[in-house]
Amino acid sequence: MTPAGRLLSASAIGALIASGALAQELNLYLIPSPSSDAIQSFIPAFEAATGIKVNVTETPYGEAHQKLLLSVQLKQGQYDVAQFDNTFLAPYGAAGTMMPLDDRIAGSAAYDIADFSEGLQDYGKYDGRTLGLVLSTEPMILWYRSDIFDELGLSVPATWDEYRAAAQAIEESGRGDGNILGWGPNASWWFMTFIWSFGGHLYDEDLNPQVNTPEAVAGVTFFKEMLQYGPEGGISASGDDVTNKFLSQDIGMMIQYSGYWGVALEPENTEFVGRIGTAKMPLGAVDITHLAGWNIGIPADAVNVDEAWRFLEFVLGKDNAADYLKAGAAAIGRKSVLDNAELLAIHPYLPLLDIPESSRIERYPQLRVWPELEKAILDALPAILNGEVEVQAGLDALNETMRPILAQERAN
Amino acid sequence: MAKAGIRQAPSLEAGRRRLAALLALPAWAFLIAVFALPILGAVWLSFRNETLGAFVPPRFVGLENYRTALADPRFWESIGTTLWLIVAGLAVQLPLGIGLALLLHRNLRGTALFRTVLIVPMLLTPVAVGLMWRFMLDTDFGIINWALGQLMERPPNWLGARWPARFAVVIVDSWLSVPFVMLMVLAALSSLPRGPAEAAAIDGAGPVQVFWFVTLPALVPVILVVVMIRVVDVVKLFDILFIVTQRGGPGTATQTLGLLTYNTGFIFFQISRAAALGVLLTLMLAPIYFLWRRVGRTP
Repeated sequence: MTPAGRLLSASAIGALIASGALAQELNLYLIPSPSSDAIQSFIPAFEAATGIKVNVTETPYGEAHQKLLLSVQLKQGQYDVAQFDNTFLAPYGAAGTMMPLDDRIAGSAAYDIADFSEGLQDYGKYDGRTLGLVLSTEPMILWYRSDIFDELGLSVPATWDEYRAAAQAIEESGRGDGNILGWGPNASWWFMTFIWSFGGHLYDEDLNPQVNTPEAVAGVTFFKEMLQYGPEGGISASGDDVTNKFLSQDIGMMIQYSGYWGVALEPENTEFVGRIGTAKMPLGAVDITHLAGWNIGIPADAVNVDEAWRFLEFVLGKDNAADYLKAGAAAIGRKSVLDNAELLAIHPYLPLLDIPESSRIERYPQLRVWPELEKAILDALPAILNGEVEVQAGLDALNETMRPILAQERAN
Repeated sequence: MAKAGIRQAPSLEAGRRRLAALLALPAWAFLIAVFALPILGAVWLSFRNETLGAFVPPRFVGLENYRTALADPRFWESIGTTLWLIVAGLAVQLPLGIGLALLLHRNLRGTALFRTVLIVPMLLTPVAVGLMWRFMLDTDFGIINWALGQLMERPPNWLGARWPARFAVVIVDSWLSVPFVMLMVLAALSSLPRGPAEAAAIDGAGPVQVFWFVTLPALVPVILVVVMIRVVDVVKLFDILFIVTQRGGPGTATQTLGLLTYNTGFIFFQISRAAALGVLLTLMLAPIYFLWRRVGRTP
């Protein structure tokens, strides 16, 4: 090749690299969590297989979603893959933050969407479009201390009435507290769960608030009633506190997201390793599964879209599912791994992730105003739970507080 | 010659002024960039309807965000909470700080060690302090309720009920702030002339009368400055509330105006409404600034 030809070739390669046509780097935007750690453990293998260098930016949960929203709105093209909490699906969807992945999912044998139950297939959908793959499947489940249950001859409760009876029996036996729920700063998780489970709704199809219906009142009354069978400090227990207290005190049961299971595995976190059982959340008037978890997708302003999808297939593809869980990630409800004996030894609750069609999946409201709505709920609950106002009166007032907030959503 | 000298003087003076202005220019540019522009930006934002969570084209909405803020019961409740924390905090911090300063001023044995120990809270990161207190105030695990449990049957649920949570914030804030009050008053005491107090003592005044009628009036300007600094500190109190009561809980019990502004902007994504709250917060603090300047001018 002549010097002029070499110069021309070098310029062309340089231009291709500069334009991103030959992507040499991939930028991940992750949120510190077991899922993030597991994803990062596959980076060396991905880099070796593709020659693409992967950079990681980890941003704490408290600011991660706001930063990504800003970054995409400014079209900075900073990130090619982004992790997000499902609660932010609606704001992201409304703002066009994430790229729809439906075509890529449909054409991907490696990802194999059919390996998920129908409810989970929709978990990353907003307004009919899939904006994120399932990164974790974390339903609310029943956790119980098998040693306390054995000692007292109790059977695992299948209904809320049985749950109440078991909590009362444990409390009265003096063996420990009956149960713990999050009555504190994250009380909205349980508030929603009980309203749904007792047959109520937060709002109707026209976005009119519905938290003061008889079903909702029954659910919140039960939530409040369980306080008497909880530890003294239960009223201020945050979501994390609930797990920490359950794992460090003698408490018979808790209703909590399955995603906390990783904490219960470590002997340094709890002396009760091996003495904790899990079961489906007790039944109320309606069979519901309150589902939470992470999603991961491709931001709308991503530069290296094909490589980003390749990375997602590599880490979250069907063939890698077992290894991904072994890497310490919160479990994903892929049907192909739910009966994997090796995984069941680590995550005994895996069968609970196979959510039957008969159970209505409920997740965080897909509303842009959800953060404001949730704050209104959290502001109203302490007075109701402390008994400063009657449940019905408190929920009547909350219903009115929610009305203008939901009206904002309607106006948009 | 004299005529030429007279002509040269103003020109030299003007040159010096130009040079001074030129030298001050970078500092002015910096101040405008980091203070004036963000403030103007916030004011501009407050007249629009920008939200972080939607691509709806933002538009000018005039005073709408201010009307919304003033009609929102949470706004008035947060002001009430802020005022309560100021008053309750000062009621604890001023007597304690002045008392400790008077004690240290007497140069008793061990004063140096005591003084060092007392200023330790000022050296600690508020977030670390918040975490430490959150654990200590825990109803089930905390040492405070363990100790109170030896004295009473049902110790307060510090972080789970409205009034205990407010008192908990005052306790933590006071633990951090009493050393500051003490140091300021101690510095003022050290600079006071001994003459008036000695004269009063010779005239037969007891220690309490000397303090009440001689020392305290002399300390008033410093105490006023301390009060103003503490007022501003409480208005912008954030880290302690964020950690100890988890963003102003339970419910809205410890939600100050600063926290409400944070929640509106960064939790609800209502950037323009948060900007309006920020502007209102600034306007409320403005009288403190003018009062401060007046106290500063007082001989």
